[in-house]
Amino acid sequence: MRYARLFGLFLKASFLVELEYRANFAARAMVSVFWAGVTLVGAGVFYSHTDTVGGWTFDEALVIIGLFTFMGGVIQTFLQPNVQRIIEMIRLGTLDFVLTKPVNSQFMASLRYSQMFSIVDMLLGVAIVVWALFRLRYAPDLLTLAQFALMLVMAILIVYSIWMVIATLAFWLVKVNNMAELFNSVYDTGRFPVTTFQGLIRLALTFVVPIAFITTFPAQSLLGWLDATTLLAAVAMGVGLFTASALFWRRAVRSYSSAGS
Amino acid sequence: MLRKYLALMRLNWGLSLEYRAEGVIWLMTNLFSVIMLLVWLSISQAGPVNGFSAADFVAYYMVGLIVRQLTAAWSSWELSFAISEGRLSPQLLRPIHPIHHEITANWSEKIMRLTILLPIVAAVLALTPGVWLELTPAALFAFALSVVGAWAIYFLADYCVGILAFWTTQATAFSNILFGLKIVLGGILAPIQMFPPAIQPFLEWLPFKYMLAFSNEIALGQATGERLLFGLAVQWAWVLALWLLMQLLWRLGVRSYGAVGA
Repeated sequence: MRYARLFGLFLKASFLVELEYRANFAARAMVSVFWAGVTLVGAGVFYSHTDTVGGWTFDEALVIIGLFTFMGGVIQTFLQPNVQRIIEMIRLGTLDFVLTKPVNSQFMASLRYSQMFSIVDMLLGVAIVVWALFRLRYAPDLLTLAQFALMLVMAILIVYSIWMVIATLAFWLVKVNNMAELFNSVYDTGRFPVTTFQGLIRLALTFVVPIAFITTFPAQSLLGWLDATTLLAAVAMGVGLFTASALFWRRAVRSYSSAGS
Repeated sequence: MLRKYLALMRLNWGLSLEYRAEGVIWLMTNLFSVIMLLVWLSISQAGPVNGFSAADFVAYYMVGLIVRQLTAAWSSWELSFAISEGRLSPQLLRPIHPIHHEITANWSEKIMRLTILLPIVAAVLALTPGVWLELTPAALFAFALSVVGAWAIYFLADYCVGILAFWTTQATAFSNILFGLKIVLGGILAPIQMFPPAIQPFLEWLPFKYMLAFSNEIALGQATGERLLFGLAVQWAWVLALWLLMQLLWRLGVRSYGAVGA
């Protein structure tokens, strides 16, 4: 409860900071709408030559595109700004100020700042998913929605954990920013059904960098196509990665001695 | 001028060597093109798409990787930060336009990236059966000319966007959009031939196609004869137009910048 209240305060503080930069907000919103448009136009071009990509029709793939946009918004709103700050704080030695606070250090370090203007991406993502469901004339029942909610939570846990592992690596490596960039490039595959890709690449996108669990599988669950195995795998992947990233963080913090302290 | 260029080139080459590792990671951002290739390959499993076989897609995107590296430009970021932080002032005092510093930085970085990329692309092209490229001397010459033109168009357009920082703090948002337009309309998302026939004639006149796709078409032997000459004419007309626009914006910008008193 205390953590929920703190998180609320963090959000409010970040929002107030951004109110100072309203032109920035407008410019970023424009960029967000533009890129969502790029993704949609791209899908339109691909689907003008085929009925299905990786076995998904255009309307079904729209659900994936919506989730891709939504999760991209989650990454840019909550994960990227904090991870960049963590890397910076480790380099400068100012992480001490976080570690000495009487709250869980990972919570504080990873959720303190958010880039509220990227919420536009999350809203656009939701809009695209709703639009897709309208086009499909499909209303998911309660059980499906519950499954989808669970899959979505797991997807968020998975991306969160991946970003936290990248951030934690900064305790030992210098150029971690590049790894974040690399993840963003791989994340681009998430706008397509994972079945578009063949062989090793599909395996890698499912188990090594589990993009499939971030967009394709949650989309399947919303459409009611999810089997129990995938659901269990998602829960195992989400909980497992989250635990691993938390343990990794704790180990890193224990062995950390700042140059400045 | 040549001596100044050589000096700038040496300086920037040293910087590129220093940050080699960054160059390697930048190459990874090419993944976007590779992802698009994989999607087209998955679609072309059922048969050729608008005249493109699977091997054509491989050739198109592999040549595209090289062209994209050769024509990449990012000076708007550097320039807009230099303007907004006031770091531009010392550069303005030098006896050479700051654009030449950016040009040489751009080239050194490029040579660095190509030494990594070329062997990979060559290997993929050699190992894919059925790849065909137009390798006559005339086509190679036209290709080289089009790549220089493509580089000039994107570099100048990007530099113009950077100059906007004289008036707005949001110049990087515009450079992001310029990059996006190059991705969609420039032939990275899809070869121009994949767009609806109704749109294609417009794309022939817009500058974006000439930032990448046009060079690919020459390499694949799709732009020959009249089409080739028409394309080169439109491309270099855009280079000239953007050069003039850059000069104009620069003059207006420096005038208002000086007035702020930096």
